[in-house]
Amino acid sequence: MNGTWRLASVGLLLAAMLGALGLRLWSIQVTETDEYSAVAERNLIRVVPTPAPRGDIYDRNDVLLAGTETSLAAVVDMGLVEDDFAPELAHRLSAFLGDPDQPASVILDRFENANSGAQLIIAKDITEQQALTLLEHREEFPGVAVIPQPVRSYPYGDLAAQVLGYIGKPSAADLERPEVKGTDVVGKAGVERTYDAVLRGTEGVIKYQVDASRSVLQSLGEQEAAPGDNVVLTIDAGIQEQLQESLKDGLELARQLEMAQRRNALAFDNGDIASRLFIARETAQREAEQAAEEAKAAAEAAAEAGETPPTTVPPVDPATIEIDEGKVLGSLYPGLPIDKNGVCDPVQRIDLAVGSRTLLSGQRERTMKLEGIVENRSQRIATVDVDGEQYEVEEGDTFATTLRVIAITEDGIVVSHSDKWCPVRAVGVVEDPNDGSIIAMASYPSFEPSAFVSGLTQREWEELGTINAFTNFAIQGQYAPASTFKAIAYVLALEEGIYPMDRPIDDRLVDEGNKTTDGETPPSESETPPGEGDGTGDTTTTTAPDPDALVPLTSDTDLYNCTGSLRFKFNDGSSQVYRDWKRNGHGPLDLHGALQASCDLYFWEIALRIWNERADENGINNEDLWQQWAREYGFGTETGVDLPFEKPGLIPDRQWFREEQRKETGRVRANGPWVGGDLMNAVVGQGTVLVTPLQLANGFSAMVNGGTLWQPRVVDRLVDQQGEVVEEKAPVILNQVDMDQATSASLRRDMQMVVNGPIGTARKAFADFGPNVSSVGGKTGTAEIIKAVEDVQEVDTAWFVGIAPVRAPEYVVTIVVERGGSGGHVAAPIAKQVLQYAMNGPDAVTPLQAGDNAD
Amino acid sequence: MAMTDDHPRVSLLRRDRPLRPDLLLIIPYLILSGIGLVMVYSASAPRLEALGVSPSRELEQQAAFVLIGFMAFGIVSMIDSRIVRWWVPWIYIGSVMTLIMVLSPLGTVVKGAQRWIQIGPIRFQPSEIAKLAVILGLAALLSAAARPMKWDRVVRAVALVALPSVLIFLQPDLGTMLTFGFIAAIMVFVAGASWRQMAALVVAGIVGTVGVFQVGAIKTYQITRLTAFLDDTSDVLGAQYNQYQSQIAIGTGGLFGKGLFHGTQTNLRFVPEQSSDFIFTAVGEQLGFVGSLLVIVLFGIIIWRVLVAAANAQDRFGQLVATGVAALLGFHVFVNIGMTIRVMPVTGLPLPFMSSGGTVFVAMSVAVGLAHSIWMRRPALAGERHGDDR
Repeated sequence: MNGTWRLASVGLLLAAMLGALGLRLWSIQVTETDEYSAVAERNLIRVVPTPAPRGDIYDRNDVLLAGTETSLAAVVDMGLVEDDFAPELAHRLSAFLGDPDQPASVILDRFENANSGAQLIIAKDITEQQALTLLEHREEFPGVAVIPQPVRSYPYGDLAAQVLGYIGKPSAADLERPEVKGTDVVGKAGVERTYDAVLRGTEGVIKYQVDASRSVLQSLGEQEAAPGDNVVLTIDAGIQEQLQESLKDGLELARQLEMAQRRNALAFDNGDIASRLFIARETAQREAEQAAEEAKAAAEAAAEAGETPPTTVPPVDPATIEIDEGKVLGSLYPGLPIDKNGVCDPVQRIDLAVGSRTLLSGQRERTMKLEGIVENRSQRIATVDVDGEQYEVEEGDTFATTLRVIAITEDGIVVSHSDKWCPVRAVGVVEDPNDGSIIAMASYPSFEPSAFVSGLTQREWEELGTINAFTNFAIQGQYAPASTFKAIAYVLALEEGIYPMDRPIDDRLVDEGNKTTDGETPPSESETPPGEGDGTGDTTTTTAPDPDALVPLTSDTDLYNCTGSLRFKFNDGSSQVYRDWKRNGHGPLDLHGALQASCDLYFWEIALRIWNERADENGINNEDLWQQWAREYGFGTETGVDLPFEKPGLIPDRQWFREEQRKETGRVRANGPWVGGDLMNAVVGQGTVLVTPLQLANGFSAMVNGGTLWQPRVVDRLVDQQGEVVEEKAPVILNQVDMDQATSASLRRDMQMVVNGPIGTARKAFADFGPNVSSVGGKTGTAEIIKAVEDVQEVDTAWFVGIAPVRAPEYVVTIVVERGGSGGHVAAPIAKQVLQYAMNGPDAVTPLQAGDNAD
Repeated sequence: MAMTDDHPRVSLLRRDRPLRPDLLLIIPYLILSGIGLVMVYSASAPRLEALGVSPSRELEQQAAFVLIGFMAFGIVSMIDSRIVRWWVPWIYIGSVMTLIMVLSPLGTVVKGAQRWIQIGPIRFQPSEIAKLAVILGLAALLSAAARPMKWDRVVRAVALVALPSVLIFLQPDLGTMLTFGFIAAIMVFVAGASWRQMAALVVAGIVGTVGVFQVGAIKTYQITRLTAFLDDTSDVLGAQYNQYQSQIAIGTGGLFGKGLFHGTQTNLRFVPEQSSDFIFTAVGEQLGFVGSLLVIVLFGIIIWRVLVAAANAQDRFGQLVATGVAALLGFHVFVNIGMTIRVMPVTGLPLPFMSSGGTVFVAMSVAVGLAHSIWMRRPALAGERHGDDR
């Protein structure tokens, strides 16, 4: 055939192509085969990190507070799931697991969004039975494996929750630590956070032979993970439990007392409450009787028919009728959640749709209406009307004093409305004054750390967040310490020999008709009413008293006449009247009596003397004498406790005052200098003084132990998995205060008298303490929050600091009840229970009862 | 298109001599199919086992295709190519129709390309059938060409290839497009095109390809995939992943291979698409250089026999069909094996007789069957005995 050469050249071309393949194969398979084998070896081996078991956390008596359990997780290896089979597998898994949060559609979604080599954790915690079923029916669940996973467990629920903290996914900041990976969990709060590096241990590695989809074929060797060290706390689980229980009960008691007060006020205002309760009771009784009659008729009918033996229906006893007081009271407090027992709820959650309105509870009822929501880029702005006042708010904003925006959705708003009267929180610290170790620390409401392991829903998170359950208020809550802080001035008085200016015993109330006119307003009066003392004192200003009537006391036993009000002169010649929390005064008393009865006047006089004599003849300015003493005991700076997010508190002075004025923070009056009135306020723990409950416990520890200021600590030692001590956390002395041991002893004795003495403010609270009540001491405090806005009245912060045994204290207890009323009323009884437990054991704890309504 | 029938009508069923099978063609064809089945099993069993299904599932499926392919080979061998020639217009038109159908909602999208069509229980790839249609169409067109070939014939040949090419391009399936081009060039050359005409074809091909790239009609992933093999350092886990893993697998095979069912790379599924496009990887890893060379030599024998059939064909149509089949086989083998060892880009061309897949096996069997039929009906050569077997 013509043109065979053309076919021949095609043959040559094709032969050349095949020949080229042969040559290339020769070079790959024969010449370079070793190199490829080496690469293949790497290809086959995957180094898989194994998580190190997180160290345990124990209390001081080796009670396990946080441990690690192994849970079984169902994992789907996406490399083994064929695309066609994915929907079927999703259905089977969904039906098998029965988790309502993971319907087949959700699982399938996860399949489709996963990389082909990914290992998806479909169920975190399956039962052993489920695991067995999965393993036995592998052909029905191709690609599904069961993998053991470490899970943090907290066997005692919320015990010491804020001390232990919780773990979670690492934040951006956590990821900057070299040892933290995105898939790890890290401590987010508490000891879990501060000791994260110790607890987490060192990851191990397992070398696996794997295939392309990363499926493990066999293990080739393992470098074991080094488990984290265990942490032994200074916390005593028993006392901790008692503290938490007492705080909870105490808060409940405070709320009941608050509601009782409100009911009284209402009953006083109008007879409505009583009549409503009466009607409710009547109605309930009538309904019960009717039901009883019907039951009786039915029983008789049945007996006649011979079906059942006749039964007798007991008549209704009016005393057993129960009515829902919450409902009745709720009708008087529209919108305010009141539970069945008629107890208030401090934080109210309001869901409001656009256009709708609701009533807000409060001293004066207000109406809130959501006018509309504007979407501005990613930000949503809601327009809310509260009693005619328009607010434009974003998420997180606080407005109209009591309202805070939790969330803004497309068509509605979620707002928390705080009831500023209702006791909101109780906080407590128990410290050993001999080495600064924290025996118990809690704030209530609290949370369960294990909730973070299983995951919180958005709603749960919001609700716990609304009441700040995650915050450790013992170190993060800053409060005005009130009369408990008189101890600083007390020590100062004894150490520096500064006592009040006395006045004649018969010098009674100041002439109140002599008020200044507007033109003569003294500097300190115009912006703030400095020092209203405890209780409901008010302030008036008078002109020129006779200074010659005053004589300085020279010893702590000299008597001072507490008249209930104090008049003092300003530099410009005007003067002001301060009132004690006890209107008519405490009568003649010395320094010790002043502390025991918590006389404001005595300590104001000390402040005034410091102020008036601040410049001595040598030109040395002693204006900050009191601040120096406060700082000696650790106030105004973080204690350095081994827990995160500690707050420093605040000891105000002239420099701070100026700084705040310059920055216009609104925390101090805008004009005028730091004056004596500011110091007077500070000395009795009011005004701008702020302390954390832990600072107060620690400061008192130093005052009662003779002047050693320890660094408080919650961790005693680190122990490895074999039980060997890795590190002993030795007590650290922050400051050795140069104070007379007699001063310390005197303070302890006077604190003992606060509890045991005839004029002691905590006497009633400790009445049922037990035979060794004489070995207990304490100091009450009632901080009055400045009235910020007319229609919101703040309720006092209740304080109590207790010590025991008085002779050589082993426990210093600090209790705070936010909006709890007076210190003697609720805070002292809580401390009583804790000390009963600590001193006399669990059986000695007597029921919680309200104490004296005294400062 | 004009497919003029300028041959005298012959009695197609009259045979001058017995039809003797070409064992040199059939035996390599059977051996390659057998090796293919073993390789499909070795490459698919571990994965299927891990999935909890029968490890031989894919083997059984492929064995069924192989049997159908054998039957197709036998049947086509028995049909005189001159009869086939009458069907050519219908085969060509039918093929173009299925290519249109595959782009319609009837087509199935697999891995970003629309290549399948499902009719009842039968699912097939129209592009594989289109290759046969193009060979037959070109053979019919070019067999009527004058010598030397006129330019209009070249243009018509280009048009004949261009129509299915455009449809294939829309799927998109670059491998098949390139196959068309290669086959067309070889067939036009054998049909007697001048060097100038060949040069014009090449220029037209280059201009067309560059044009397509310039217009941006080609998807980025295709460019990446096509060019990745040129760059040794580009991301071995990305575009080049498949080829890189495949090359490693073949490289580890060494001279004699790791032995059947001991291919860790293939069995552990580092190599994707291992039972279809990358089936040669299983050969290279498990049977080593010796086994690989054997496979290449067997393909070489088949191509040689097909070209011999072309050289001895009873008419120009038969000659051109056999040439086209040789070009088809040669191109597929070169591009596919070249892909597994990174001398060619990844284009998705299967390895004839070995890659799993029904359409391709049957289509290739039909192609070889056509060549076999042509060989069996060759005119007697000088000195060849004539009809004495009767």
